[in-house]
Amino acid sequence: MKELTISSDAPGQRLFVLGNEAIARGAIEAGVQVAAAYPGTPSSEITETLAAVAKELDMYVEWSTNEKVAFEVALAASICGVRALASMKHVGVNVAHDPLMTASYIGAKGGLVLLSADDPWAWSSQNEQDNRYIAEQGYIPVLEPSSVQEAKDMMADAFKLSEQFRQLFMLRSVTRIGHARSDITLGEISRERRKGQFIKDRTRLVYTPREARINKPLMLERFEKIKKAVNTLPYNQLKLADGAKLGIIACGLSYSYTLEAVKWLEIEDRVSILKIGTPHPLPEELVIKLLKSVKEVLVAEELDPFVELHVKAIAGEHNIPVKIHGKDLLPRIGELSARKVTEAVARLTKTKTPVDFASIDKLEQETAPLLPWRPPALCPGCPHRASHYAIRVASRRVARDLGKEVEAIYPGDIGCYALGYNPPQEASDTIICMGGSFGIANGLARVVDAPIVAHLGDSTFFHSGIPPLVNAVYNKANITMMILDNSATAMTGFQPHPGTGYTAMGDETVLLKPEDIARACGVKFVEVVDPFNLKEAAETIEKAIRFEGPAVVVSRRLCAIIDQRERKKRKEETIPYRVDQDKCNRKCNACIELLGCPAIIKEGTKTVIDSSLCTGCGICAQVCPYKAIVPE
Amino acid sequence: MVKEFNILITGVGGQGVILMSELLGRAAVTDKLRVRGSEILGMAVRGGSVTSAIRIGEEVYGPLIPTGKCNTLVGMEPSEALRNIACLSKSSLVIINTAVTTPFTVFIGESNYPSPEEILEKLGKASGRIVQLDAAKTAQDAGSRLAINIVMLGALFGTGQLPIKIDTIKETIRERFPAKLAPVNIRAFDLGYETCRQAVK
Repeated sequence: MKELTISSDAPGQRLFVLGNEAIARGAIEAGVQVAAAYPGTPSSEITETLAAVAKELDMYVEWSTNEKVAFEVALAASICGVRALASMKHVGVNVAHDPLMTASYIGAKGGLVLLSADDPWAWSSQNEQDNRYIAEQGYIPVLEPSSVQEAKDMMADAFKLSEQFRQLFMLRSVTRIGHARSDITLGEISRERRKGQFIKDRTRLVYTPREARINKPLMLERFEKIKKAVNTLPYNQLKLADGAKLGIIACGLSYSYTLEAVKWLEIEDRVSILKIGTPHPLPEELVIKLLKSVKEVLVAEELDPFVELHVKAIAGEHNIPVKIHGKDLLPRIGELSARKVTEAVARLTKTKTPVDFASIDKLEQETAPLLPWRPPALCPGCPHRASHYAIRVASRRVARDLGKEVEAIYPGDIGCYALGYNPPQEASDTIICMGGSFGIANGLARVVDAPIVAHLGDSTFFHSGIPPLVNAVYNKANITMMILDNSATAMTGFQPHPGTGYTAMGDETVLLKPEDIARACGVKFVEVVDPFNLKEAAETIEKAIRFEGPAVVVSRRLCAIIDQRERKKRKEETIPYRVDQDKCNRKCNACIELLGCPAIIKEGTKTVIDSSLCTGCGICAQVCPYKAIVPE
Repeated sequence: MVKEFNILITGVGGQGVILMSELLGRAAVTDKLRVRGSEILGMAVRGGSVTSAIRIGEEVYGPLIPTGKCNTLVGMEPSEALRNIACLSKSSLVIINTAVTTPFTVFIGESNYPSPEEILEKLGKASGRIVQLDAAKTAQDAGSRLAINIVMLGALFGTGQLPIKIDTIKETIRERFPAKLAPVNIRAFDLGYETCRQAVK
């Protein structure tokens, strides 16, 4: 028997998958033909999964330079009648926001789905924004799954719904869907492949003020139809319990926590539950039915009170005397859990909690001070560690010449190098958004007198580093812009990008070099350094900082993980370093305190290098004042 | 019918926490069990704390193990087991790899690592039973320093409480690894299994 995989046309079979693989499978079942994305946790595996089977299934899959482009690629396909998906993390939707808000005026011809991967508790993000509000702003209907299986089913259906209602749909995933694992039952794969056809239609596709005014009412009409239809979608389900005083409205994943909570409390037959799979628009008829049948309602949803406010509005409009709870009992911050819902329901039903949570909390609080701090660190042999070190050395030299009080400022960015914000590198003074390092540097240059050395990665540079670079040239900002080029979108799983020379589907392509782009943009100081040569790298960066006007330094070294993989393939040996104990002054600790490399550890008072982790980069040998670190 | 069996695997990035949960999940599906779980990837993979939940049974809905509802806590690193103390109850079993991975924050004096006694005392208060083994050494004995996660997987099955068949998990291991590496991993599994079985006897 052929092994079951994500692309197997085997309806009814069960497969154990990651949530994001399930979402990709849903798109495959729907016969998606174009998928575009920019990587971002927790969404990246969707497009990776699709890219891996794209040729086999006759789909086009790309890593776009950023989310705006990704969305536009998908939108264009939809305009031409082809089913298309754009996937991104929640903050990626901000980047795509501009076309998104007009896309909903256009409506969809080929099914068009935007996958927004929200990240409650900001596990791997800079904020925990709730993208249902973005959807609301654009009259974009939202599907929100309660499980991995439902995420797959919804994704498959979203394309059909999008075509049926001629409107773009959003599927809102969260970390605990995308990065959950579950068995799923596979559905049928659509083999339909359409030929895209662009039909010129000025009124629908050319947005001058006239078209905005023509299309907005049409969009509102489409939305009204969707508002009625969601009452009968299977993703919204009302289960009324006889004589129940309490109703729970549970949106998306909160539904699974709610099911566990009422079971845990053994009150399944005493509460009515409305499962919400479409938070926007809400199934109003079902909401009214529930509100009229109970005295109190608890709205369970992650992050902001989106459903709660709409439910309150419905209750007000229909004069239903019911007390509505939500964020008064459940947090706006972070993820929900069976426990949080259980405690809220226990309070409302005056039931005893099944577990003495207080004593568990007490033990946890007593334990907390014992735990070591284990921040994620740059990998052994990571070139960013060397770049950060060189930046610091160079900046200090310049700052020293400027006066005792002067300290260099390091605007940082989104990517692996962000891990260097922890000690000992402490390499970032700001991290705000993609490309934000260069943008913030532009502004700092206007108001402070200090060396300003911004850094971002190669993928981030292509994503949104170029406009602020042009800005620095145009407006003559005296800043140093570093591109830490490790030839990978490393943080999200080594996806290719315009600087890698190949595409998502594995085809070779033009390789763009950041230094060429910088020169073409008119930067007069552009140098490329190897960060593993600390002395030269620091000297070049120092020159860049002293240069009057915008300067660019590309610090280029392949990502250590990819480098190790490639060396293994070439059967090339890695020669690790070791500490010569006769030369090591045991109290100095410079290697550990300056670099924080996971391969350098203390065994009692001895400093040693874990040869299984060491990649032989030799940075520690360069910083050791006693020349005690040598190749094995 | 299995109603609910919760396993929490904890460790440090690079120890193979995720692979272990993948193997468990696949084997559970082969045995026609319902599986749910979740993990934290991204920021946590680079040497940070990693946890992965695997939940088996017909009455499991959410991806997370509710507070105090963990049946077996697998600690691939002692302090990481301690970090997840809130999932335990008096009916929980804890399996700990005694080999410590010290974070560099300890070397630079930014934090402290608890003593083995402190770890055992707290976990003992929270759980029903603790099994300790040096999985790093056992993995080396089996022939691969990297097989710590498979030793711990063996130990997990050695508790005799799992609803997954031993043959199924072994078959899953054989399928997952290249033919060259499978025997070492099966050996690692068996050694972990035996060590735990002796301990819980």
